[in-house]
Amino acid sequence: MNGSYLDSYAPLLLMFLLAAGLAAVLIIASSVVGRHLKVRAKDQPYECGIRPTGDAREPYSVHFYMVAMIFILFDIEAIFLYPWAIVFKQLNMFGFVEMLLYIAILVVGYIYLWKKGALEWK
Amino acid sequence: MEFVTHHPVLVVSLIKIAIALFVVMTALAYLTWFERKVVARIQSRWGPYWVGPHGLLQPLADGIKFLFKEDIVPPAADKISYVLAPFLALALALTTLALIPIGPATISILGQPTQLVISHSNVALILLFAISSIGIYAVVLAGWSSNSKYPLMGGLRSSAQMISYEVSLTLSVVGVLLIAGSFDFYDIVGGQSGHWVHVIPKWHIFPQILGFICYLTAAIAETNRVPFDLPEAETELVAGFHTEYSSFKFAMFFMAEYANMITVSCLATLLFLGGWLSPFPETGAWRWQLYLPAAGLIIAGIGLIVGGLRGVQLSAKLVFPVLGIVCLGVGYLCTLPGVMPVIQGPFWFTAKVFFLLFFYVWARGTLPRFRYDQLMSFGWKFLLPLSLINLVVTSLVVVLRLR
Amino acid sequence: MFPPLQDLYRIAPELVLCAFGMLVMLIDPFVPATRKRSMGWLAFAGTLVALASLRWAALNQGSAYSGLFRVDMFSLFVHAIVIGVSALAILGSFDYLDRENIQRGEYYALILFATAGMGILAGSTELITAFVGLEMSSISTYILVGFRRTVLKSNESSLKYFLLGSFATAFFLYGIALTYGATRSTRFDVVNQAIAAHGAGPLLILGLGLIFVGLGFKVVAAPFQIYTPDVYEGAPTPVTAILACGPKAAAFAVMLRIFYSAFGSASHVWFWAIWVSAILTMCIGNFAALVQTNVKRLLAYSSIAHAGYILVAFAAASEIGVAAVLFYLAAYAAMTLGAFLIVAHVGGTNEQRLNIEDYAGLGTKHPWIAACFALFLFSLLGLPATGGFLGKLYAFQSALDQRIVWLVVIAAVNSVIGAYYYLKVVVAMYFHESNKEWAPMPMRAPMFVVLLLTAIATIYFGVLPNRLMELAIASARSLR
Repeated sequence: MNGSYLDSYAPLLLMFLLAAGLAAVLIIASSVVGRHLKVRAKDQPYECGIRPTGDAREPYSVHFYMVAMIFILFDIEAIFLYPWAIVFKQLNMFGFVEMLLYIAILVVGYIYLWKKGALEWK
Repeated sequence: MEFVTHHPVLVVSLIKIAIALFVVMTALAYLTWFERKVVARIQSRWGPYWVGPHGLLQPLADGIKFLFKEDIVPPAADKISYVLAPFLALALALTTLALIPIGPATISILGQPTQLVISHSNVALILLFAISSIGIYAVVLAGWSSNSKYPLMGGLRSSAQMISYEVSLTLSVVGVLLIAGSFDFYDIVGGQSGHWVHVIPKWHIFPQILGFICYLTAAIAETNRVPFDLPEAETELVAGFHTEYSSFKFAMFFMAEYANMITVSCLATLLFLGGWLSPFPETGAWRWQLYLPAAGLIIAGIGLIVGGLRGVQLSAKLVFPVLGIVCLGVGYLCTLPGVMPVIQGPFWFTAKVFFLLFFYVWARGTLPRFRYDQLMSFGWKFLLPLSLINLVVTSLVVVLRLR
Repeated sequence: MFPPLQDLYRIAPELVLCAFGMLVMLIDPFVPATRKRSMGWLAFAGTLVALASLRWAALNQGSAYSGLFRVDMFSLFVHAIVIGVSALAILGSFDYLDRENIQRGEYYALILFATAGMGILAGSTELITAFVGLEMSSISTYILVGFRRTVLKSNESSLKYFLLGSFATAFFLYGIALTYGATRSTRFDVVNQAIAAHGAGPLLILGLGLIFVGLGFKVVAAPFQIYTPDVYEGAPTPVTAILACGPKAAAFAVMLRIFYSAFGSASHVWFWAIWVSAILTMCIGNFAALVQTNVKRLLAYSSIAHAGYILVAFAAASEIGVAAVLFYLAAYAAMTLGAFLIVAHVGGTNEQRLNIEDYAGLGTKHPWIAACFALFLFSLLGLPATGGFLGKLYAFQSALDQRIVWLVVIAAVNSVIGAYYYLKVVVAMYFHESNKEWAPMPMRAPMFVVLLLTAIATIYFGVLPNRLMELAIASARSLR
């Protein structure tokens, strides 16, 4: 492995491992230390005190899917903008115009979404 | 042993990680105390008062209480994801801190050149976003795995909110990248050194004020804080995605939330507020600023001693003067020539992060909560276009100045 | 560092199509629901401008974007087919969409985007570019197929098309990866050189096979044709018309380019695959069509069979073979487009009249429509003096020239079998008594123009094929 790579990312991995270890220890400790007293009502899902009705895994509003899809579109846009921003000074006017076009295309989609009410929360 | 001598980097970073984790965990604990105190002051209350002097031991008591509470795993829950969710939340929230440098690259401690960062990468910003965005999975998993209606709805809402604001968050930073031209925090902060007309620091917040506002707003929403704390809207959703969690698993979500608060504040400091740079010029006339950390500590120490002795509680009378003396001692240490240059970066960095965290708490004490539809349309219809406009205008200015 | 401006002229048709597509998307939300038809006219204008911009591209022939895309006679020819099909299909959709109450701007925008994708496919000289074009046209058509949102069948076919199509494109992509692994390039010319220099290893053959799967799906070559009848039946009929002509032409174009330019040196490898696939495609298409009672499904199977005939010319792997493929595609586009649009027209609200017996009496009630339909069916069948006849003739001829005798024999037998089911419809139209009341079917100007144009083209290609054939040969020559 490349030395500088190890220098940069091995500590990051180490940090993750230690943080994960800490989290794991906390989870295990709390389940070991705490008292356990099984009561039937305690095991039921919380529904404001009444008996739970039906399964919780029921269909939910399609709007969440819509938000997820719009998110993917715009997040990808943002991610493409990142490398562009870094080399922007080399690309100069060309880069500016290209990205303006790129953003314009997305803005068309954005206006479309807006007018079609995809951003409305009903 | 041989491994250690071959990889000194790992040993050094192990020490750094140990310190960082200790500091962060303490900071997390006392951030809750700080928040409760400040909000209490805003609402003309006292806040935690009785556990230790001025409630200083309250976080510890809370932690112990969480630990000894019964740890319920609902039988209907999907066990693996149920446990995985808080684990992911906390582990990832802590991991991101590894990428944040708190001082300049050229610093030597005990004669050794040392970087005040655990993991230095030239794509640190992207890595940071990447790791922190995995945190959304924790919310989704927690909401789904509980197999209860409130967590499901809360989880969906939170995740929809988080991804909505993540777009603005990532876009608002592009303006800074355009000016800085690098993903490396050292370069980004380095580019903010210097002053306009000898007084105004060249921090990105001034040309990027719009970007900063977008970032801060989106960051508050990302971390599910007031006024965007819809997921925890008690009146609607009980406790949101962590309704079914108890004991330390429950606490871990909060720890993750506070760790994320610290991370985004650190990021805002690095990107917009000049990181560890002092706001004052580094000319001879401004040399006194080097004594600021020491001065701050000494003033705090004197304040603690005087305030403690005049206090009502007996414990405060005993503990505060001791703390004050410790502060005075550390303040004196900061004037030593070996320590003084090292302490400057972290001092300013911490000061700025602290200010931002105070802002967070301040906002919580002041602002009412959004309604969910308002929240979503605010993110998509206001923040997103605003950050796009900021991006276009910034790139236009940058390209025109290149000519 | 930056591509020259001329490259923009070379992709002018695609740019125009995309620009108009976005324009439609942009204006559509502001247009009241009753006036959505104007979006169709805007899209139609877009296709006309795109056709005109072909001229611009023609003046700037050559490779663009460092070998990703190429404008030559070949790509111009396919562009003309694809854009023409979309233009006519847009005109033919107006009444249908009104009837089905799905008159929306997105429909037209998606057609334009799909057309742009097909254009990219036709001009690509690099595998990733081809993939982008394939995805652009595919994703747009997935949505178009499910455009009758309230109709279960349409949703079903959209989902089927989407799932199978995603699989096919995944195969295609994997094939690209393997080809790249074997030759270290995705550009056709470089791949060809690599094969000429090092021969075709197993990795490359596997890659080629996977690419064939992906494209075979698009051109409905057996054994990747299974989805066709269901999808064609469920889709709104004008969309079916586009599906049967546009993507097929574009996919055949890129297949020609990939197999001839990139894998030309390995023709011995793919020849037998094409040979087998051609026979399977023809037989499955024709034999399954025999038992159909639904005209839309029947035409879907017939479209499979025709893909088989085109593959016969494809297997010839000669210049005249390529010309025959192109000629066939053009003639086929004209007659199929016309046939499907008539099905759309006769089908009425909710596509009620789709069975063969529903066509009984059409000959006396609506003689002109019946005459047009008969013409298209005769052309599909391959009667002389129609485009379909000469298309088949050239295709079989080119195969015979290369001494692929058995394939041609099977193809000839197949086209005789085909006569049965085409004539079944004609017989129903003219010689059967109607058992359903014929509602008046007012035909408005756009539809009339489309039918007129497609009918004229079908006859023109059959009677005076020289001009088109010359163009096809010139195009085939430019493929080298």
